[in-house]
Amino acid sequence: MATLTNIPVLPYGVGRIRRGWIASAAVLLIIFVVGVFAYSRQFIHGEEVTGLFDVGTRGGAPWGLYVVFVVYFVGVSTGLMLIGIVAELLKIGHMRSITRIAEGLAIISLILGALSVIVDLGQPLRGIIGFFQYARPMSPFFGTFTLVVSGALFASVVYLFLTVRPDAAILAKRKSGLATFYKWWASGYQDTPAERARRERSSIWLAFGILPLRILAYSTLGFVFGLQVGRPGWQSALQAPGFIILAVVSGAALLILVAAAARRIPGARDELSIPTFSWMSNVMTVLLVVYLYFLLAELLTTGYTSTEASWRVTDSLLTGQYAVLNWVSIGMLVLATGMGGWQMVMRNYSLSMMVAAGGLVTISAILQRYLIIVPSLTTGALLPYKEGTYAPTLIEYGVVVGLVALGALMFLAFLKLVPILEIQKEND
Amino acid sequence: MPKYGMTIDLDRCTGCRSCMVACKIENNTTQNAFWMYVFRLEEGKFPDTKISFLPRPCQHCDNAPCVKVCPVGARYKREDGIVATDWDRCIGCRYCEVACPYGVNSFNYKDPKKSQYMDWEDPDIQVATAGAVPSWANPSLNEKYGSENRSIAGSNHIKGVMEKCTFCVQRVEKDMLPACVDTCPTHALQFGDLDDPDSAPSVAIKEKDGFKLLEDRNTQPRVTYLGSPFGPGAREIERPSVKD
Repeated sequence: MATLTNIPVLPYGVGRIRRGWIASAAVLLIIFVVGVFAYSRQFIHGEEVTGLFDVGTRGGAPWGLYVVFVVYFVGVSTGLMLIGIVAELLKIGHMRSITRIAEGLAIISLILGALSVIVDLGQPLRGIIGFFQYARPMSPFFGTFTLVVSGALFASVVYLFLTVRPDAAILAKRKSGLATFYKWWASGYQDTPAERARRERSSIWLAFGILPLRILAYSTLGFVFGLQVGRPGWQSALQAPGFIILAVVSGAALLILVAAAARRIPGARDELSIPTFSWMSNVMTVLLVVYLYFLLAELLTTGYTSTEASWRVTDSLLTGQYAVLNWVSIGMLVLATGMGGWQMVMRNYSLSMMVAAGGLVTISAILQRYLIIVPSLTTGALLPYKEGTYAPTLIEYGVVVGLVALGALMFLAFLKLVPILEIQKEND
Repeated sequence: MPKYGMTIDLDRCTGCRSCMVACKIENNTTQNAFWMYVFRLEEGKFPDTKISFLPRPCQHCDNAPCVKVCPVGARYKREDGIVATDWDRCIGCRYCEVACPYGVNSFNYKDPKKSQYMDWEDPDIQVATAGAVPSWANPSLNEKYGSENRSIAGSNHIKGVMEKCTFCVQRVEKDMLPACVDTCPTHALQFGDLDDPDSAPSVAIKEKDGFKLLEDRNTQPRVTYLGSPFGPGAREIERPSVKD
């Protein structure tokens, strides 16, 4: 490829640290340190520094921003992995260039999801040990931990290892400071036709394994909410499927944002072209329509069949204390659907419009998770307790922003170790 | 093995809330934590109003949603019917609290010794207490109970773990009644072995019609309410003030 011949040793800025990279890493590191400081306050003083309170007589929400981001991060990871794998399995040509970004981001956001669970625990150290020592399969959390955090993380890392292996074999032959690293990654891979066939076979089988595992795993996170008899507003058969749809939507949205930023990487601009983005935009738009349909179906079902308590939760979303947030969130989803739909119909895609839709959806996906989790806790009491409230504190925002910064740092490191686009075709 | 249960006669309850106070003293629960809580409810419109009371301990459900969701088995059902929380094992995920339809759980959001009603380390108070053992150091609350030998009694142990009504396991295992039952001036609360037809709650259930709280949730509570339930329009009055 023409662009690649200009690049001396390693493509796509791999291994080369520039000033801009250092500056962004430094800023992110500072934000991360602020997050660590915020968490240290919580670790020392307990969760009294958060806006979380008991339900019942205290009128609060025992789950808040942290759980919202557990669901968001794991959801994004699930969505990205599904997009990456389906693109690879169906060999969608335009999507091939973003599969690497999707796989890398999927692993990073899964790690962030696991960390969000840890920061939510009152006894984090016990949590890490307790899950190994005492885990109970009856709890939906068990699925979250075994399937999501260990199973899915392990499978995704192996999958990334396999898909990057041919590139690593090529890069290991070039003289660079990372040659040993790639030699280790290639681990004897020579890219002979037999090896290539075997690698493809194993990644296809792994993909077939990961696909249902990820869907099942994220469904258990939906079941964490959907199976509760004590929380009106959560019990719904649509909870788990809704989680999966919103996961792919939010995954596609984040992918559009990150891939647009990745166009600044030398040599990547031509590969990350408009057709690639339009594919992601279309996936996002179609699934957004499905999600909005789910919301409507849920609203109608609750409207006609709800008990007094579950109507109270719905009412808090329609006209009560969460109405503004809810309508803003739905408005953003509708706007993003309109933007995506318009481009799809006109067959005229604009990058800035797709990025704007991606941004709207990312914010709204987080709000949607908040609106699923919090209102049932504060307004869903079955006994005549007073309506509760929840407002996250600066500590909680600090911890969450710190986690996002950590994720961005990990992605920056990923960019410098792994070519962001496949380079194998260069040899084809 | 006895199967413990409780009856609460709503016609006898005067809403005095002494059970709440007895619970606090026995279990040293922190500020804002009400393991036993008495709703004071009002229905209708002035002047046609009706006042009713609803004591709400943990229902010690046989099909307890909190036990099902605990990821580490810290919340568990004992053979004698008590739903216990092992504060040595709880990881503080608060899933039990989210799952409970009755809102009976209280979480130690901060070091419980800092949320006591009195600061025992204050020098002035130390003069007044003359070196007495602080209430949270009550040795019977630190013992291990049951055949499982687990730390389940009392409140006020560590930050970041969940707590709730234990049916006063530290008293029950010594053949005493739970503090709330022992204190109730009108004998509205009865406690005993529901498998024994002559026990106080069994007799009370035979004598009067009763109901279980939120029976439609299929939690199968071990607490039975006798008398008539509060109406659908009941609203809470006279809440205790809570402090952040």
